[in-house]
Amino acid sequence: MDTVIELKNVTYTYPLADEPSIKDMSIKIERGKFYGVIGENGAGKTTLCALIRGFAPSFYNGELKGEVLVEGKPTTEFGPGELSLKIGYVFQNPFTQISGVKDTLFEEVAYGLENFGVPVDEIEERVIEVMKMTDIYSLADKKPFELSGGQQQRAALASIIVLKPDILVIDEPTSQLDPEGTESVFKIIEQLKNEKKTIILVEHKVDMIAEYADEILVMKGGRLIRLGDKQEILTDMSLLDEGVQLPQMAILGERLIEAGIPLSRVPITERQAAEAIGQALQKARNS
Amino acid sequence: MWREKLQIHKSNWIAALHPSCKFLVVCLYSFCALLLASFKVGEGEYSLYTIAWFVIVPALAIGSGIIKRFWNAFTKVLLVAVVIIVVQSLLIPGGDTVAQLWILKVREEGLRSAIYLGFSVMNIAGIFVWFFQTTENKEISCALEDSGTNYKVTYVFISTLQMIEILGQNSKTIMNAQQARGVETQGNIVVRTRAFFASLVPLILGAITGTEERVLTLESKGFDVNCKKSRLFQIEKTGREKMVNTIAIAITVAIVGWRVALWIL
Amino acid sequence: MEKKYSIKKDFSMIAILIIPIAVAVNFVGGQLASLLKLPMYLDTIGTIFAAMLCGPWVGATAGVLTNVVTGIANPVNFAFIPVNLLVGLVTGYLARGNMFSVWWKWILSMFIMAIVSIASAAPIVVLVYGGVTGGGTSLITATAMAAGVNIWAAVIGTEGIFTVLDRIISFVISWLVIRVIPDRTLVKFGCGNLYIKKKKQEAPAEVK
Repeated sequence: MDTVIELKNVTYTYPLADEPSIKDMSIKIERGKFYGVIGENGAGKTTLCALIRGFAPSFYNGELKGEVLVEGKPTTEFGPGELSLKIGYVFQNPFTQISGVKDTLFEEVAYGLENFGVPVDEIEERVIEVMKMTDIYSLADKKPFELSGGQQQRAALASIIVLKPDILVIDEPTSQLDPEGTESVFKIIEQLKNEKKTIILVEHKVDMIAEYADEILVMKGGRLIRLGDKQEILTDMSLLDEGVQLPQMAILGERLIEAGIPLSRVPITERQAAEAIGQALQKARNS
Repeated sequence: MWREKLQIHKSNWIAALHPSCKFLVVCLYSFCALLLASFKVGEGEYSLYTIAWFVIVPALAIGSGIIKRFWNAFTKVLLVAVVIIVVQSLLIPGGDTVAQLWILKVREEGLRSAIYLGFSVMNIAGIFVWFFQTTENKEISCALEDSGTNYKVTYVFISTLQMIEILGQNSKTIMNAQQARGVETQGNIVVRTRAFFASLVPLILGAITGTEERVLTLESKGFDVNCKKSRLFQIEKTGREKMVNTIAIAITVAIVGWRVALWIL
Repeated sequence: MEKKYSIKKDFSMIAILIIPIAVAVNFVGGQLASLLKLPMYLDTIGTIFAAMLCGPWVGATAGVLTNVVTGIANPVNFAFIPVNLLVGLVTGYLARGNMFSVWWKWILSMFIMAIVSIASAAPIVVLVYGGVTGGGTSLITATAMAAGVNIWAAVIGTEGIFTVLDRIISFVISWLVIRVIPDRTLVKFGCGNLYIKKKKQEAPAEVK
């Protein structure tokens, strides 16, 4: 097992907060896997992301007990910018991710590469490639702050992907987007998955998680309450009592089984549901 | 080539001069204007040379091929200058009456002050208008960085210009929303002041929420990295900068020499 | 408990991002005030806000930058850079000195802010422009001058009342906004610890 990120007994408290936002958490994140982080509001999902990226405590200050290791080295020991090349971070709000100093989207996507001193010829090549991948190349000469939310979020992804980080932490990228925007963002995330990036995605749209993630992390009250394979976790109906949302297909499947329809397994995606129901119907017809 | 599209090419060589060269011209010109304004000419002791000196500003604007843009921007300066000249010449008593129209009298001292102040303002503000009308903000920030200015300074400068545009748009949206909600924008001063609050407070709040996230975004994009940054946009030199600098310095030295000679003799 | 301040720490990343907002707020405030035909400029709200939140030097920077930007459109504004610089400095130092905490200190502060503005603007108006700039109150000033009132008195008198009102409105708006900022965010600002509602025993966290 190739561990890229490890939390060892981590407890973290924001400044002025009465109690820790993360309580005694230990996990190992494996390279090349896609982790979906779920849990109710205030469960500590965003704080977990900030810890992994080192923003907590480097920016938020506060009190950190235990260790957060990225490739074996504590996040607190990385120099400025060093982690930026290892871990890409995409935020919730599309608008706040605009640099504020670029007139065109092309330059906006190139901004990080300029800061890291990448030669200009290489910048141009990489920016064009990433803009095509994220489907914003046709907007290259538009003003960044005049784009729609979905376009801005794709641009935010592009300007991080262009730095070629191995790990991506993506915090609720679609919460402010319409269905169309959500779809386009997940298309990009799927491509990142195919490139074998390590992805940590916080997402309320659990149907999307069911579709794309490998492993699921379930958080509650600052603690990790479940970690494991998505098939196993997203079909665990006891999680509903913990305030965790489960995929509609899983709930449908569970109801069907309760109603006496013998499904081979509880589905979590539409494709699985179609398969399972199809098989059950076939069996019923045959008998 | 995308990078090629981002560059600024100017057909007029004066306008295309490197910003640092143009800025030297602006500084020396302003200095000379003030120096010339201190020359008292003739019996009335008016600062007539500063009027003559002003010819250079429109000449530069025409030479740079931007006379229309220049004029549009310069009218604001002109308004101030005209107010100064009128007020000074009519309101300051002292000296003989130079001209009289009904009860309005222009006296010597008033006219002296009017010319001195009015043309100093026109000279200095005018040459700056020329500078800003021939130079884009992007070029200014680029030139600043080239001359060793910290990237944080240029970031603040450019980001400010963009933020003004963004908040300007947002304020229109908020004003419209407030009007739709029935916040009155007409009426007595209390009503209008209330409308001012109702528009501005949400505007500022909207602008500052997410500032933390913006800090972290910049950090994610390597804002703080200690390395030489590369830049897609580059300013070009025309090759005539040295010549222009030399001429500007030579003229300044000549005027200073003249002034010193007048003092000594 | 005393907090140590340093200019370098004042210009944290978050302060760097507040400056453009402050300048833009100055712009929009000024435009809105003239749109609503208010008899004040109200074009220093951003400067006052930045100074209250991030300290005198950040406030001063916002003030100077405002005039630099307006100067690009009309270079006459360059002459008033010192005025806005002082607005930022004075507000910032008053905030640090806890001069907004009690009502009588607050009223005193409003007058100090107004007096500094007038006192710094008056010499520029008189010496550079001979008393009249062509702005809103110029006509009153000019009439007063024509009536034989001393040029200094004319400039200061017309500006006085409205400047005090201007500062009060600007302060109240800044204060309303600051009250809404959560404590967790306030600690990130140079002077944010002054506005935290719930005081903790331990020292306020160091600002990056």
